[in-house]
Amino acid sequence: MKFLKKYKKPIIVIAIIVVVVIVLGALKPTEQEMLSCASPEMQKMIREDATRTRKRVTVTYESLIVVNYLSLSTSGAQEISEHYVGFVRNVYPADEGPMKVVGQMVNYTYRMLGCGENLMHGAKLTILLTTLTVIFGLLLGTVLALGKISKNKILSGISSGYIFFFRGTPLLIQLFVVYFTVPGIFGFAWRDIFPASDAEAVYKGAFTAALIAFALNSGAYCAEIVRSAIQSIDKGQYEAAKALGMTYGQTMGLIIVPQSIRRMIPNVSNEFIMILKDASLVFAISLMDITTISKNIMTSEGSYLVFIPALVIYLVITAFFGFIFNKIEKRFSVYE
Amino acid sequence: MSENYEYILKTEHVSKHFGKLEVLKDINLSVKKGEVICIIGPSGAGKSTFLRSLNQLEKITSGKIFIRDELFLHREKDHTVDRLPHEKQQELLLEMGMVFQRFNLFPHMTVLQNVYEAPVVVRKKKKEEGKAHAMELLTRVGLADKADEYPSRLSGGQQQRVAIARALAMNPEIMLFDEPTSALDPELVGDVLNVMKELADDGMTMLVVTHEMGFAREVADRVLFMADGIIAEEGTPEQIFTNPQVERTKSFLNAVLEA
Repeated sequence: MKFLKKYKKPIIVIAIIVVVVIVLGALKPTEQEMLSCASPEMQKMIREDATRTRKRVTVTYESLIVVNYLSLSTSGAQEISEHYVGFVRNVYPADEGPMKVVGQMVNYTYRMLGCGENLMHGAKLTILLTTLTVIFGLLLGTVLALGKISKNKILSGISSGYIFFFRGTPLLIQLFVVYFTVPGIFGFAWRDIFPASDAEAVYKGAFTAALIAFALNSGAYCAEIVRSAIQSIDKGQYEAAKALGMTYGQTMGLIIVPQSIRRMIPNVSNEFIMILKDASLVFAISLMDITTISKNIMTSEGSYLVFIPALVIYLVITAFFGFIFNKIEKRFSVYE
Repeated sequence: MSENYEYILKTEHVSKHFGKLEVLKDINLSVKKGEVICIIGPSGAGKSTFLRSLNQLEKITSGKIFIRDELFLHREKDHTVDRLPHEKQQELLLEMGMVFQRFNLFPHMTVLQNVYEAPVVVRKKKKEEGKAHAMELLTRVGLADKADEYPSRLSGGQQQRVAIARALAMNPEIMLFDEPTSALDPELVGDVLNVMKELADDGMTMLVVTHEMGFAREVADRVLFMADGIIAEEGTPEQIFTNPQVERTKSFLNAVLEA
């Protein structure tokens, strides 16, 4: 109840959006309704196709939350194609004029989001890679930060060297090193870490390599975030813990690190958004993220407009996670 | 642990250098169980440094520290000559509770957790037991109703009383107070001093660095006047406040008591 009261406004806004989306989604035409709007010629071919082994018409039906996109095209001597956009019980032809652009945007967005594909495609890949990178990066970063501030010269030397190396070289080259150089030297292939029966082994291998490269890189940046947060904690906190007889480990684990987390959140949010954008570098090892898909669409269809929905998708993801981090920060600030 | 000791705490020839600066010069002090000792003096005299050296927040340059007549630490020219084994040292250090000028409560824990955390993780007390004892101590300092608040919601005086409860929760034999009221608004000082007075009346051994002359006069068994890194004068409150012998003490007291 308290929760409802506190977040009254955002809850109302979200509820309205959800209701509108559900209503609009329920009102969008079905695939059958869309097909019934196609030209008689095309409908005839589709009916005939049902009994043929070699189909003449390629039917692409894409449903994107509140809008539908239907693309029908034939191959052969006289190529004909028809496109339709469905929205709120209506089907609009989208072969020319502004509706053509609308249709393309729906189609591109659908593909860049990775709809109809598994988790490792499009926006889903970008979000998955970014989230895992930040998690592993923070774990590694915490170890490195504790190493760097420790009095042990060897530990702090190793940590400093690591941070220096990964911050001082380009992420793209680091990605190449993990993807090409490391398997080259040690004589293995990234696809081999997945069973040969897995049809996507090559692709999953590339994803694994990307995740490792990104996490190693992010670890260096997170180390600095963690270190500056830890060092921003008042010296008196260490003294109080020591005077109470706590060991170094207890002091760090119970007193210093929990307080540091709160101070880290804005910087982690920043790092998250940086990684989200850096994740577009995976186009270099052929992973199908938003960037790769948009570039492929540009190359194969010559559509220069594709990059605009790409930007919008990135922006929406950034805004969403920015909002989440903001909430987390508030959550952790209860004691201030 | 033997209870047959003459001095609960003793220092011999303790000195401390920060680089070239000599903050403490040859400090000798013996504290008997149950004694309340107030350390007064101008700022920069080394009062806080001395207190912090006792529970190892500062490393002394040379000198000997005895706890319960056992040689706790002996250092010469920044090198440790002799000391108790580490574990034994830790154990004895737990007998010293410390209260800081700036409270140093843990801001991310509730008041109650601040008090029971160390007994549970360091003394390995059961959590329920720790909580019950913490509640008792908070009642004693008059803050039972604030148990579930975060320290930031408390006034400075309340925070300092929580800090005292926190130190007491470890059942120390001796309490060190490092200017416990210097960071407080004047109207909040009284509550903290009252808690300290009650502690003294209960027989707690206390070493108090303070600028509260009224408190020192009323509560202390012995007053040390420190200036320029030495104990310039030492005596009962009566002797120090009404009949100081040393010129430095006289001018300090004149300046302080007139203000």
